[in-house]
Order: sequence, then structure tokens, then C-alpha cells
Amino acid sequence: MNGLVVALVVPALTAVLLGGLRGMVTDRVAARAGVAASVVSGVFILAAWLLHDGGGYAAEIDAVWVRVLGLHFHLGMDGISFPLLLMTTVLSALVCWALVDDPPAGDNATPALVALIMVVLSAALGVFASLDLLLFFVFFELALIPMWFVIARWGDPHDPVGRRVAATRFLLYTVIGSAFMLVGFVTVWALSGTLQIPELAARSEVLDGGWALFAAAMIAVGLAVKTPIWPFHLWLPDAHAKAPTVGSVLLAAVFLKLGTYGLLRVLVSVLPGPARDLAPWLGALGVIGIVLAALACLRQSDLKRLIAYSSVGHMGFVVLGIATLTEIGVAAAVFASVAHGVVTGLLFFNAGSLKRRFGSAEMAVLGRGLYARMPALAVVLAFAAFASLGLPGLAGFWGEMMALRSAYESAVDSGAGLVPAVATVLLVAALVGVLLTSAYFLRLLRCTLQGVPTPHDADVDLVGSERGIAAVLVVAVLLLGLAPGLVVGVVEPSIPAILGSAR
Amino acid sequence: MRRRESAPAVAITALLALCAAVVAFPRLGERTGPYGEPAGIRTTLVDGGDLLGVSVTFFVDHLSAVMLLLAAGVGLLVQIYSVAYLAGDARYRAYTTIIQLFLVAMATVVVADNLWMLLVGWEVMGLCSYLLISHHWELGPARAGAVKAFLLTRIGDLGLLVAIFAIGQTFGTYEISEVLSAMASPDAPDGLTWIGLLLVLAVVGKSAQFPLHTWLADAMPGPTPISALIHAATMVAAGVFLVARLYPVLAASAVTMTVLAVIACVTMLLAAMFALTSHDLKRVLAWSTVSQLAYMFAALSVGGYDAGIDHLLSHGAFKALLFLAAGSVAHAVGSTALAELGGLRAVMPWTFATATIGFAALAGVVPTVGFFSKDAVIEAAWHGIGHDAPVAPVVAALVLVVGLVTAVVTVAYAFRTWWKVFFAADPAAAARLAEARSATGRSYEAPPLMVGPLVVLAAASILLSLAMPLHPLTGLVTTVLVAAAGWFTWQTMAAGRDPADLLGPARRAFDRELAMDVAYDRAGTAARGAGDVVVATDRDILGFYPRATAWVAVTLSKGFTKAQSGNAQTYVTVLAVGALLLAGLVVVR
Repeated sequence: MNGLVVALVVPALTAVLLGGLRGMVTDRVAARAGVAASVVSGVFILAAWLLHDGGGYAAEIDAVWVRVLGLHFHLGMDGISFPLLLMTTVLSALVCWALVDDPPAGDNATPALVALIMVVLSAALGVFASLDLLLFFVFFELALIPMWFVIARWGDPHDPVGRRVAATRFLLYTVIGSAFMLVGFVTVWALSGTLQIPELAARSEVLDGGWALFAAAMIAVGLAVKTPIWPFHLWLPDAHAKAPTVGSVLLAAVFLKLGTYGLLRVLVSVLPGPARDLAPWLGALGVIGIVLAALACLRQSDLKRLIAYSSVGHMGFVVLGIATLTEIGVAAAVFASVAHGVVTGLLFFNAGSLKRRFGSAEMAVLGRGLYARMPALAVVLAFAAFASLGLPGLAGFWGEMMALRSAYESAVDSGAGLVPAVATVLLVAALVGVLLTSAYFLRLLRCTLQGVPTPHDADVDLVGSERGIAAVLVVAVLLLGLAPGLVVGVVEPSIPAILGSAR
Repeated sequence: MRRRESAPAVAITALLALCAAVVAFPRLGERTGPYGEPAGIRTTLVDGGDLLGVSVTFFVDHLSAVMLLLAAGVGLLVQIYSVAYLAGDARYRAYTTIIQLFLVAMATVVVADNLWMLLVGWEVMGLCSYLLISHHWELGPARAGAVKAFLLTRIGDLGLLVAIFAIGQTFGTYEISEVLSAMASPDAPDGLTWIGLLLVLAVVGKSAQFPLHTWLADAMPGPTPISALIHAATMVAAGVFLVARLYPVLAASAVTMTVLAVIACVTMLLAAMFALTSHDLKRVLAWSTVSQLAYMFAALSVGGYDAGIDHLLSHGAFKALLFLAAGSVAHAVGSTALAELGGLRAVMPWTFATATIGFAALAGVVPTVGFFSKDAVIEAAWHGIGHDAPVAPVVAALVLVVGLVTAVVTVAYAFRTWWKVFFAADPAAAARLAEARSATGRSYEAPPLMVGPLVVLAAASILLSLAMPLHPLTGLVTTVLVAAAGWFTWQTMAAGRDPADLLGPARRAFDRELAMDVAYDRAGTAARGAGDVVVATDRDILGFYPRATAWVAVTLSKGFTKAQSGNAQTYVTVLAVGALLLAGLVVVR
């Protein structure tokens, strides 16, 4: 029995069952089923990883699916994908757990929502596990549609038009981006005659030349929309702000990672030559994203929009790390992706708790002095903010640090992706971004948590599942922050699979 | 007093202090100086691997031991003191927990062998001071001061981050002991100027040196015991520690040491002038901390390694004493503005006696510890002119001159403050005090839990002298200077004039602390302005393409709508035209 297949099938089956029986299943049962399915998925992934004897891919399965297209059902995981797979199941379990106490609006709507989440989970796991370009694309698209429903149907209850616009904009951006990506994949297939990622990555003769560069550029645009890389980020603040809590968390923790993972798996490893040509552009756009997102965050008044913009900045660090095409840069990309999932997940859960109480995440509506009004929630929010601004000892720091270090190493000692002059400029700009990031998070804490308390009828501290979710994520943030070697140790052996022929 | 909360807080801190003592005491005897093979005990707990390099390793030597004992001692006294000082405070438990975290972070910094581990402790201290400064977060100045402290120190922290990158790249290791070994070996790497300058940036932020000095004085809205902790034993002391820890790396470059010396000279005198013109007891003490830290950096920059460390220790004792004394004044009077104090000598005898020792040590009066350690700094500068110092003789001479001038100014502001707080300079304030006293009928003197730490620190401020070296000649020179300055200040005060007024028109500029904050405020305004531009760009310019796409889609669909008119005649016409066109194409080809 292949662990990965089980991990994909369990949520898919759950989705079918919940969808089919949604009239007969109560809210709580549906939410718990979602938690259970996610946990089972996670356990199978973990088991498959632990049982793996090293070398190659864990739980690899390769079956010809459509012979004419050369499409294989080819799954497997290595140190790059395993942390993301595990993180996805954990976040999905927490998202379903949140629905236990906070059912979506509408009569017995949880089963439908959980079914959609399960589709997203299954598709996201599929993306992370795919070793076939077309299969990657299929899963990539599959994750999209349920998300549209999640945002458009269960988004901000106070703004039905806005949430639909945001959902559609999200869908259009990503679909158009994916169209570019598909063109890129087809070009790769035409050039090399295969869609198998391991085969492409191990080619002795790398794909190079005009068409390969075209393919890489197409793929990069598609992934840049998803990641998102500036200036393709516009869908993100709206989608995050209007999505329900579960949607925001899934978008931040899982969806953005589809883009960053894709940059590693289907851009750098498949097209190492053209990737090197694109690297300075990617790096520059990533750093522009870091600085501009931080500046934009300084002026946000809505908590969810602020967190959304901060994601653009964090993804900038991931892109910077990838653009250096160094070992430490790849490790940075994976670590920062996982850490961002956990930290921003925590931030969005918190913002969701606030929005649920006050009907809005506008700082003016939340009022001041939350430290006194809801101590537990406020402390968790402050903790997440410090993790997100990259305080050493918490999860956010190490990814940022490794990305900056990869830029530093390229600046000193010509890296594969960036020439020293470019790397120096990017490093300095990114450092300014780090400082601005501290500034806007402190502004957030100052405007909401501190100040003379303004009591409100809706002041209720974290309750029920909110407490449990916060506890799980706080522990995860501390674990990643105090023992970064856990993740890096997993990633390190697989880096050659990404950079193999790029260096 | 809520014993249920305070007892465990003190007990845990005492336990931490005990652990620190157990680790530190065996190392106290081996004073080896900065150069040569690192003499200390190295322990590896977790090996972080080659790629990441984040290991859990400890390196404990004489320097760590001194720092550990200082931090643990002051931390414990502050915790005991706070039981009384913060009695009845709603956030007492959070406060004590953060102090414990603060101490653990400081301990991490001083015993870490791995530079990343050091960085974790270093920045967690920044977090703790942020949280403690904003303890009274209802108050605007507390919030602003906390944010400022975090951001300005973070500038320095980024310097440390890049310095660590550079050290890893140059030495191939992140372990301090291995870096020191490499420096001691004959083939030590050169080209260390950049690393040195980045480290200087780090300590300039952490230890509030010019031009990042403004945060420390603005950190005063925090509870007073916290100031004692931050100023004496942790946070700012970490900057001095870092220079001492990586001393060979910094000393390898004359440029680095010259920059450090110049920064120290500027800061030393500037902060002393700010202290002289300040109107608030705590602010005077804050500026004096900045000035005294500059003494330590000055000593280190001219090669006076031991002098720098000794002054750190001595300053730790007397500054903690002064801040806790200021705390007991604030506890009694409810204010630390100099204008509202005065005449406290009679009503607070214990505070008066201990604070007098503290001020004497600050001014460098024999036989307090401040006299010995400050002399050692002056002596180091004198020695540096003639001998093989890391900086040029002229720089050492600058340090010597500025050090002596600052010593004089220090006497002036220490005397001025002492006089204004404890002697009835202002009859109106004395009358107010007497009235308040008769109205409440309670004693002004602090409760025993606060007086106890004061007495311990006062004793330390004298007894630590025994561990300090004596330089008879410089001692004589400085004593004469101190006596002259003290006599002069006394005469001025007795004549009813404020020594700060002697500055003449320059006083106004110093009153505003030279408007250094304006630059930082401008930077903040600029960032906010840039933020507005970015938001507008996202909305109006980048938002163009989704709008453009929407417009194209709508227009196209309108076109198609028109095409589907349902009119059979139109369809047939279009069909015919199409067929004709196709036929034409075929014919042409």
C-alpha cells in the first residue's frame, strides 16, 4: 500500500462522502470527519517518510496513465516536498477543527465546506507529490475551483459583492497564470519528449536555448501569480481579506506554497539553464516585493489585509533564496515556506477570531487595549507577530536568515544565480525590508493590543477549539524556531535533486 | 503584597542565579585576557550540521563568568526589589516572567559558543526590553519608547546578522571558540575590517551609542527596576560583552578600533552633557549609562581589555544601585522630575546613604569602585599613547582628553542631581513635601524589601574595589580633577545657580538633546509616505490590468451578444461572406 496514494485518496473519499451525504451529516460530525481525514493523511505521509530507506523518492509510484500524452500517475516525495506535505495536513486538520465551534453561515453548511476543504487538501498534496509535469498541472488547477466556492460563498458575510469580486479575481489571475504555465510545460515536453520530473532533472544535457528560456519564462509567470511575486500579487490582499478564516488560512499556508514549491520543482530542477537567466529577475522582483509589501503594510487599517500583504513580503524572501540557486537558498525556500504556513496560519486564525467577534477586522473597529480585554488572544497575536517579523528563536527567523545568507554568499562569492553586485543590492534592500517589517508589526501591536482599553460587548477571550488551535501552532512555531535543524536536516539531502545540474 | 505570586517569582530567579553561580564560580580564577588560545570549557549539546550551522554549544570562560554573576546578581536583586515596588500591580506576573526570560536570554548570550545561539539570546533580550518598557502600555510615552527601543536596536541586530554571515564565510565556522583559535594561530585571516565595522554597528545599537543612542533615554517610562536591569546587567552590557568576546577579530583592524574609539568619544561627552542638562532623575541616569558605556568602549578601543570589563562590572553595581534608589524615590514621591524632588535626605535616610555611595561611584570618588575602574580606563588610554595599542597614538590621546573632560562633567552632573534630589534646593518643593508627609502620615522610606537590595548594592559598590587594580598616578590626577570639579559645582549650587546654566546659550540645544530624534521621525514619516504611494500604486496602476482585462472581456461579450441577434438573415449573410472569403483564399493560393 502506497502511503502517498492513501494520503490523497482519504480526503478525496471524505469529500465525496460528505458531498453525497451532506443532508444527513451534522455540522460537528462533518468538521470532525475533516479533522480525522487530515490526520490520517498526515500519519500516512509521516509513516511513508519514516519507512523510506533513503535515496530516491519515498513512496514512489509510477503508472502510465495516458500513453499518448506521456502522462504518468507519478507520485513521490523527497526532503523538499515532505515538510510541505506534512504542514499541509496539519493546517488542514486545524482548519476543520476551527469549524467545529465556528460553523459557516447557512443551514447545515459545514459538510459542503469540509468537502471543499478536503478537495483542496487532496489536490494540494497531489501538487507536492507530483513527479509528472502534467499531473502537477492537473492538481494545481484542481485546487483552484473549490477555493473559488469557499471565498465566494462563505466569504465576508458583510460584503457579498466584494467577496464574489475577490473570488473571481483570484480565479482569473490564477487561471490565466496557469495557462502560461501549461504553455511552458508543453514546450518542455516538445523539447525533451518527456513529462517526468526526475528524468528531466537528471538529464546530462540540460535544456537550453531560446525555446527553453521561453518555457521557463512561461512557467515562471504562472508560478509568480500563485506565489505571488510582485507585481502579480494584486489578487492576494482582496482574496485573503474577503475569504472566511478557513479560506485565508488555506490560501496563506497552502496555496502560496504551491507557487514556491513549483519554482523549485518545475522551474529550477527541470530547466536549470534558463532558470539561471531568470534568477536575477526573480530575485529583484522578490526583494521589491519584500520592501513594497512592508511599506504597504505600514498603511493598512484592516488586520486581514495587513497579514495578506505581509505574506507578499515573506514570499519575497523565499523567492530571493531560490533566485540565488545556492544550497542554503533552497533550504531557505523550504524552511520559510513551512514557517510562513505555521506563523501566518496562526495570524489568520487570530484575525478570524477577532473578525468573528467584531464583524470586521478593521483596527478602528477592534479598538485598543486588547491585552486587557482578551489577554490570551492578545498574547498569541503578539507572539505570532514577533514570529512573523523574524525574531530569532521563533519560526520566522531561520527562513529569512538563510535567504539573506544565500544573498550574502552570492554577494561575496559569485553564486550560481546572482552576480555579486546584484546580490549586494538585493541583500541591502532586503535588510531594509526586515526593518520595515518590524516597524509595521509593532505599529499593529501598538494600535490594537496596547492603549487605553475600549471595552466592547463582543470581548470574549479565546474559547474552545480556538485555544487548541493556538496551542498547536504556538508549539509548532517554537519547535521550528528552537530546532531549525529538524527541517533543514530533512531538506539537505534532497537539495542536489533540485540543484543537481544547476551548479 | 501578594505572596502567592511573588514567592515563586523570586524563587525561580534565585534558582537561575544559583545555576549561574555554579557555572561561573569555577571559571573566575582563570583570567587570561583576550588573545591566545581560548581558555574556557566548551560543551556541545546539539550539532547543527554543516549547511545550517546552528548548534547548541557553550563556551564558558572568565568573561562569561563575570557577566553571568553580574546578570544573575542584579537580576535577583531586581526581582526581590520588585516584590515591593510593584505590589498591587495587575501585571506583576507577566512582569516577573519576562524578567526571567530576560535573564535566560542574557545568560544564553554570555555562555553561547555558537553565534546563532548568541543571536537568539541577543534579540530575545530586545523583545524582553520592548515588553518591559511598554509595561504601562496605557501610557503613550511607554508605547512610543518601546517601539523606538526595538527598532533602533534592530538596526544594530541586522548588523550583527550580517557580521555573523561574514564570520561564517571568512572562518568557515560559527563557533566563537574556533574563531578565536583561528585568530590565535599564525595564519589568521586578514581583511577583517568589514566584520569589525558590522560588529561595531551591532553594539552601537544594543548599547545605545551615537548615533543610535536616543532609545535608551526614551526607555524610561518602564518600571524603574527594569531600568536597573537593562542598564546595569543585561541588554546594554551585552554590547560591551560582544566586543570583548570577539576582541581579537575587532582589534585586528585599526580602522574598526578607530571608529569605535571615535564613536565612544562622541557618545561619552555628548551623553554627559545631556545628563547635565536633564530635568528628570531617571533621564540623568539613562544618559549617564550611555556615557559610562562609552567609557568601556573607549577602554576596549585603546587596548584596555581588562579596564573595559572592570568598568562594566563596577558600573553594573553602582548603576543598579542608582536606579533602584531612583525607584524608591519614585515610589515615595510619585515622580522623578527633578523640580518635584528635593530635601529627601531627612525623610529617606537609607535611600540617601546608599544613593550617595552610588553617585560617588559614578563621579569616581575614592574609595568607591567607580574611582578604580574609571582610573583604569584613563590609564589604558594613557598607556595606549605610548605603547602598542590597536589605534594610532593620536586616537588614544583623544580618548584620554575626552575621558578626562567627561570625568569632570560627570562629577558636575552627579553632584547636581544628588543635590537636587536630597537637599532642599527649592523651598516650594520642600513645603509641598512636608505637606504631603503630614497629610498621609506615612514614612517616606522604602519598605525593607527595597532597602535590602540597595544596601547590598551599596556594599558591592565599595567592596568590589578590592578586586580592582590601582594606578596611583592617574588616580592622583583624577582625584584632583574630581575634587576641583566637585568643589566648583558645589559653589555654583550653593550660590543658587544650576551648573547646567553655565553652558549659556548652548543649553537650549542640549535641552532638546540636539534634536537628534527629528531625523528618526523624518525617516518614519518618509516610510509612511512611501507606504501611501505603494498602496496607491497597487490600486491605481497595477490594478489597471485586471480592470483592463475585465473591460476587454465585457466588450468582447457585448460584441458576441450583438452577433447573436437571432436574426436568420444576418446569420446567412455572415455565412455567405465567410464562404466567399474562404473561397477567395483558396483561389489566391
